[in-house]
Amino acid sequence: MGNFLNLWRDSGIAQMDMGQGIMILIGLLLLYLAIRKGFEPLLLVPIGFGGILANIPGAGLAYSAVENAAYGADPALLGELARILGIESTENAKALFAAYAASGAQVKMLASQLVNDAGFHDGMLYIFYSVSIASGVAPLVIFMGVGAMTDFGPLLANPKTLFLGAAAQFGIFATVLGAVYLTSIGIMDFSIADAAAIGIIGGADGPTAIYVSSILAPDLLGAIAVAAYSYMALVPMIQPPIMRALTTEAERKIEMVQLRPVTTREKIVFPMVLLLLVAFLLPSAAPLLGMFCFGNLLKESGVVDRLSDAAQGSLINIVTIFLGLSVGSKLVAAKFLDTNTLGILGLGIIAFAIGTASGVLLAKLMNKFGSTPLNPLIGSAGVSAVPMAARVSNKVGLEANPHNFLLMHAMGPNVAGVIGSAVAAGVMISLVGG
Amino acid sequence: MQGTLMDQGLELMLFGMGTVLAFLSVLVLSITLMSWILARYFPVVEMPQGSGASPGRPPVGVLESPAEDARLIAVISAAIHRHRSKKSQ
Repeated sequence: MGNFLNLWRDSGIAQMDMGQGIMILIGLLLLYLAIRKGFEPLLLVPIGFGGILANIPGAGLAYSAVENAAYGADPALLGELARILGIESTENAKALFAAYAASGAQVKMLASQLVNDAGFHDGMLYIFYSVSIASGVAPLVIFMGVGAMTDFGPLLANPKTLFLGAAAQFGIFATVLGAVYLTSIGIMDFSIADAAAIGIIGGADGPTAIYVSSILAPDLLGAIAVAAYSYMALVPMIQPPIMRALTTEAERKIEMVQLRPVTTREKIVFPMVLLLLVAFLLPSAAPLLGMFCFGNLLKESGVVDRLSDAAQGSLINIVTIFLGLSVGSKLVAAKFLDTNTLGILGLGIIAFAIGTASGVLLAKLMNKFGSTPLNPLIGSAGVSAVPMAARVSNKVGLEANPHNFLLMHAMGPNVAGVIGSAVAAGVMISLVGG
Repeated sequence: MQGTLMDQGLELMLFGMGTVLAFLSVLVLSITLMSWILARYFPVVEMPQGSGASPGRPPVGVLESPAEDARLIAVISAAIHRHRSKKSQ
């Protein structure tokens, strides 16, 4: 009978609390959206599944060894741990862990040594997270793959579209302002670094958002990554109403002149030009844009097809698996379910909408004062979300004029948006993180 | 950065947006310059690669020889003829 009781106490049902239950449901919802509705399945399947794994009661997959010990160790070990951390109570696991997080490096080492000796280990997802995200590696490798997939041809043929990519970044900074405003009137509690990391959601670039928040606001990473990727998946729903509201029927019908052909040489030289500019002007964006240029050079040089294939194929897939699971591990109930998360989700969608709107508005301006006709719909592609945003521009354009193919034209601002949000990320990191 | 949180936010916005714009403007200039230099001093002899078209294979719709052209026309007209006669039955 005693054994049976022990088994029951160890089972998931007995240990489940409200928050974990909710988070598992959220994980299932993400899986449903990904599988049934086809929203960014490549990311939401790993994220959703990781979220479920992270919330399995008692398994502690997303916790570090010390956290696992704080929740599950016997009183003797907890007493020892509390003594090392220099606090009185051993009852409250959260207080214990807070003391651990606040203590110095030496104390931390002692504590983790102690729990390791007692047989507590970092959870699987926690290890994935440390290796892929906390180190900053996964977003960078993904950026290399994206670089190897990107064709800069449309951008090189019409460099002016870079300005559209710049305008769309306004959403990022407007949201920073929104986040600090909410804090100053006391609704939310964000530091300037948090606000910067939240704003990056408006760049609609998953890897960039993860990279920035892993540096500036690691504790908000789960919410930020989920917001960034879910809004990327929602691009086809969020953008069109804004685009239609800001343009007239006649503007949507504008047909653009065909792009000039771009030579292979231009495509090979371009990543080097971009890299040099980054090196001279904004070294803090060098990790992101450096990997991006490297990937692109692998593709365009045409002599290392094997490397290029690896970067845009198997490697990016492998990293996506670990990135997704690691982001999912941040969906632990104790860290995810609070008002800040709601604030992040809300601010994120505003960031996105403002970015879309400012891209469209600048495109309207450029059409009015430029010499060549420019369809304002391609402005919305200035938020990154490659290639989804460009496809949306194309689709809305086709609705107005069935012979109007904007896809190639929209790819210009689209890849400009990737560069723009990486630049914005670099600025944020050097201004706030430094 | 000093000042209240709000000031910091404003400052970040001004500097951030300014930097993004400045950087991308410089990039636009450099791209234009690069394309001009490449076109002026290193003109390409090879056919410029259009986006998407793979070299080595003629684009769809272009036929290799006039003889084949004539044969194709014959085949198509036969097919049309057949289709029409079927319909009229």
